[in-house]
Amino acid sequence: MKRFSWKLPVWLTDYLGMAGALAILLAVFGFTAENFFSRSTFLIIADQVPDITILAVGMTFVLIIAGIDLSVGSVMGLSGTVVGALLVNAGQPVWLAVMAGVVVGFGCGLLNGLVTVRWSLPSFIVTLGMMEIARGAALRVTQSRTIYIPGYLDFITETRLLGISLPFLLAVGIVLLAQLVLSRTVFGRYMVAVGTNEEAVRLSGINPRPIKLVVFALSGLLAGLASIIQTARYQANPNNGQGVELQVIAAVVIGGTSLMGGRGSVISTFFGVLIISVLETGLAQANAQESTKRLITGAVIVAAVILDYYRQRIRHGKAG
Amino acid sequence: MVAQTFVQDFIEFITKGIQMMETKRSRLPAAGILFLGLMLGIPACARKTPSGPDKPVLALVMKSLANEFFKTMEEGARQHHQERASQYDLKVVGIKNEEDVSQQIKYVETLIAQKVDAIVIAPSDSKALVKVCKQAMEAGIVVVNIDNKLDAEVLASNGIKIPFVGPDNRKGARLAGDYLARRLQAGDAVAIIEGVPNAFNGIQRKLGFEEAMKASGMNIVSSQSGYWETAKANQVAAAILTSHPALKAILCANDSMALGAMAAVKAAGKTSDVHIVGFDNIEAVQTLLREGRILATVDQHGDKLAIYGIEYALDILKGQTTPADKETPVDLITAETLR
Amino acid sequence: MNQIRPVILELRGIGKSFGPVRAVDAVVLRLQGGQVHALVGENGAGKSTLSKIMAGMLAPDGGQMMLDAKPYAPSNRNEAEQSGIRIVTQEFNLISTLTVAENIFFNDLPRSCGVIRYSTLNEKASRLLQQIGLDFIHPTSRAGDLPVGSQQLVEIASGLSRQCRLLILDEPTASLTDKETELLFSQIKALCRQGAAVVYISHRMEEIRRIADVVTILRDGRVVCTDTMDSLTTGEIVNRMVGRDWSDEYRRTTPETGPVALRVEHLSVGKKVRDISFVAHRGEILGFAGLMGAGRTEAMRAIFGADPIDSGRIYLHGSQRPSRIASPKDAVRHGIALLTENRKEEGLLLIKSIRSNCTLASMEKFSTAGYVRSAREKKHVGGLADRLRLRCWNTEQAAWELSGGNQQKLVVAKWLSTECDILIFDEPTRGIDVGAKFELYHLLSDLARRQKAILVVSSDLKELMLLCDRIAVMSAGRLVEVFDRKPFDEAAINRAAFREYVHPVHSQEHERNA
Ligand SMILES: Nc1ncnc2c1ncn2[C@@H]1O[C@H](COP(=O)(O)OP(=O)(O)OP(=O)(O)O)[C@@H](O)[C@H]1O
Ligand SMILES: [Mg+2]
Repeated sequence: MKRFSWKLPVWLTDYLGMAGALAILLAVFGFTAENFFSRSTFLIIADQVPDITILAVGMTFVLIIAGIDLSVGSVMGLSGTVVGALLVNAGQPVWLAVMAGVVVGFGCGLLNGLVTVRWSLPSFIVTLGMMEIARGAALRVTQSRTIYIPGYLDFITETRLLGISLPFLLAVGIVLLAQLVLSRTVFGRYMVAVGTNEEAVRLSGINPRPIKLVVFALSGLLAGLASIIQTARYQANPNNGQGVELQVIAAVVIGGTSLMGGRGSVISTFFGVLIISVLETGLAQANAQESTKRLITGAVIVAAVILDYYRQRIRHGKAG
Repeated sequence: MVAQTFVQDFIEFITKGIQMMETKRSRLPAAGILFLGLMLGIPACARKTPSGPDKPVLALVMKSLANEFFKTMEEGARQHHQERASQYDLKVVGIKNEEDVSQQIKYVETLIAQKVDAIVIAPSDSKALVKVCKQAMEAGIVVVNIDNKLDAEVLASNGIKIPFVGPDNRKGARLAGDYLARRLQAGDAVAIIEGVPNAFNGIQRKLGFEEAMKASGMNIVSSQSGYWETAKANQVAAAILTSHPALKAILCANDSMALGAMAAVKAAGKTSDVHIVGFDNIEAVQTLLREGRILATVDQHGDKLAIYGIEYALDILKGQTTPADKETPVDLITAETLR
Repeated sequence: MNQIRPVILELRGIGKSFGPVRAVDAVVLRLQGGQVHALVGENGAGKSTLSKIMAGMLAPDGGQMMLDAKPYAPSNRNEAEQSGIRIVTQEFNLISTLTVAENIFFNDLPRSCGVIRYSTLNEKASRLLQQIGLDFIHPTSRAGDLPVGSQQLVEIASGLSRQCRLLILDEPTASLTDKETELLFSQIKALCRQGAAVVYISHRMEEIRRIADVVTILRDGRVVCTDTMDSLTTGEIVNRMVGRDWSDEYRRTTPETGPVALRVEHLSVGKKVRDISFVAHRGEILGFAGLMGAGRTEAMRAIFGADPIDSGRIYLHGSQRPSRIASPKDAVRHGIALLTENRKEEGLLLIKSIRSNCTLASMEKFSTAGYVRSAREKKHVGGLADRLRLRCWNTEQAAWELSGGNQQKLVVAKWLSTECDILIFDEPTRGIDVGAKFELYHLLSDLARRQKAILVVSSDLKELMLLCDRIAVMSAGRLVEVFDRKPFDEAAINRAAFREYVHPVHSQEHERNA
């Protein structure tokens, strides 16, 4: 049988494309924004992306199994308020509060998964419900008040290794680990398969339900983790993370993950997060008007998705 | 009561659910759950506050009850009502999202249909709510405007007058700005973080800040929206700090955003160089004021604001006052005043 | 005599590439009115690609087409249909949520002021179905609910629904029974009498011999030769197709039947499967014959745990205790594999690579502690692809890029990768070329020799008679008789297949008792 192979590996062309887009963006802001190419700009971006990145990793997995998780923002808000309430109102030790925050996130995710899987419901509606529930719970926990956390969590934002903050290292670590799981493990393979054709997976003797359950629970767990970083920076505000789910989905889709399931990459998602973050930081530094910011952000999202369409076509050799 | 919000959410949920049912496979269980939800939900929605025949019914229409400021306002009102339960009945409704203007209009329409005696409203939009308030007045309902002043021109073109009871946000911001200016030198770079672009009180605060800064000769290098949110404000503040390293102060249109600005200043290692000013005096900033990490904020006595409105409405109902605007106090809060 | 007939469509040097694959290369073809022109070739020879080009579904990247001596370059399927060229594709194009009638007349639904006139539509559809002899298909049933064979018939019906000059049939009989094939043939002949040309693509040589006037043999996208049917023997055709000497030597030698591998007792699933019992041994190939809708697929799915059963017990590997098979997962754990009849929906991850499709059901063999051993996996897939002569240029190619027959081979490869002892094949040779078909027979035989139990469901009775040691016949959900090879009596098997439809006494009695 004739079998040739194209030498340039697919993943390389993918990442090169994303990195190129990022480079263009950086160049544009380098010209238009004051002091853009400075150490502090990159530190700001490094400070700003960890929580979104961690949420986006979970969202990538959820989109790959052809689901969606609209509750991540609210769950992050809820976990954060639990941390705050335990630390400040209940005077619990830091480790316990942090654990509890993560566990609450995990619990919400698990519940999303259980309901979705048990009754074969669309995750859109289940997580939409959870979005409201978690937000309601967050308001309840704090009585709608921001809880100020005096210094307990400062070690999270202030620990630096070679100038890089702990949250950023954690986020990058999670991205790499998740990419490994996705592309190199049986679980990753099953996840992609479930998102592609659930019935074919079932008829191959694999139960798709536990896979979906784990993915939703993981998304919740990561939301819990992200909340610790958010809370350490912004205090426990019950409104934290409002609307973040859409920002996260945008980043994931910019990274080329399909909303239809079965296709995605965590590394590309990370690029997507970076692109959005560079865009927002750059626009703010360029002192852009509010309307301009929105116009440009929207246009970049659409352009990125169109770009991805052509990338897919080139990959499949579908010319003309 | 809060049931109002619940009803709206509930209807939204059911419609979405029905749409989802169109998708294959899940039809049966989804239908089951919706049905269950309906069964449980309807009696909960239908429950009403019992009201005596002779007591006037007052409705307090808020912006987002998820917002600390309005929550405080609501609690103040409830407290007031509890102490005077014999004098009037109180309904409180609040929208989910501060920008959800249409939702608030629908609530007012419902209240008109329910024939309440007075409506005390914190409008989410200073123009869009005028029309429905006019309808309420035409239905014989006393309308009192609190917190966010309805647009004078639109009121005039509709030929109505609605008394406004509330603080002067601009004046409050000016107070904080002047206090800050005393710590700075003329020509220093400062930045403003605004609220949601079209919010009246946000605009007023921004104007107040600007006035104070211009009067003392400061240089406003940037003025951008932080959408009232901590994370968003953090991002904007961090970006401004980078592009203007000589920045000396950030004036924020609310305290949540001040928290975000504070985190940005801290991350940039400039805690001792950059002053932060907020607005609203929420609980979380009080320690920070004492520690000097936030220089000043403004208290517009949210807990009393609704009470002023309610008392004013009761007075009008009793025929004791003729409708006219009434200003409520705004106070500068700093480390010194807290002591 | 061929010269007298008018040439309807002429292809001059048509070519088409997919990336590095030259699927069709410099093809010259003259299709004459009143003639059935057969296209034959191995899986992946380019038959479907060529017919899609003629039907406007693909644009050629070289050459020219002449319709009635005028240049013809349709830019989409609709345009081709306007010019009177229609196609029944190999992969179904039915919209599964619409009714049969809506599907048939999808392109010109009868309507007044934009509102569909359902009464007219259904009447037209039912008249058409009756005309072609498909009165058992109801025009208002949802296309997706029909069994695969009926779906194919609906597809054909919609091809026949309007006047056409050239009808292209891409493996129309792949899942039809003999009776339905006869119906189709009479329609084709009627069409020819009206002067239309027909392109007929099939891997079944006996069909081609019966229906075709002219045959064109394709290999690797090129025309090997075009000749009248009478001037070529089947052996010659196959030799030219595969490009080497080839013989259809296959004889099932009397097997060494081992112990019982699978015993099914009183299995019932709804109305489709009624109280069937049978035994399959290690080392034997057990066939399942019957008419379409006889319940064979449903029975196999139930044994595999894909659908819940109403009653019945399944004993495995000679055990005295029944095994609980509640899901395909249980089945695979117990060593049962099922190749579903519907590869696109149920067998493959179309957008995923050949490699990940191939090892999907056997990941544990290619992983250590959940970590995929890519090298081992690649080696296995490469080897298996060679063994099955899977036509691809790279095992990283997506499954949907494969030709129909090669997709089927991929499903086989998936299950061969597992170590299952009981292998159930539902229509395994559907769409596979003659060469590959005999390879598969040898493969099944080989598996049987290695003491696996093989169950084969097929609509092709000849195939079962060639391949199997015993043939179980199902009729209206019942297993009516099991025939031994001594040798098989075709007429008796056919009679058995009709038995429950002709004398359904047994079942009525049963229902009354139940
Ligand atoms: N969309 C596509 N992208 C890439 N390759 C394709 C595509 N469609 C077909 N091919 C390749 O073109 C070749 C011809 O395919 P085609 O479907 O025409 O074969 P066929 O003769 O119809 O085979 P079969 O008998 O199996 O149906 C095959 O090698 C196939 O892999
Ligand atoms: Mg084909």
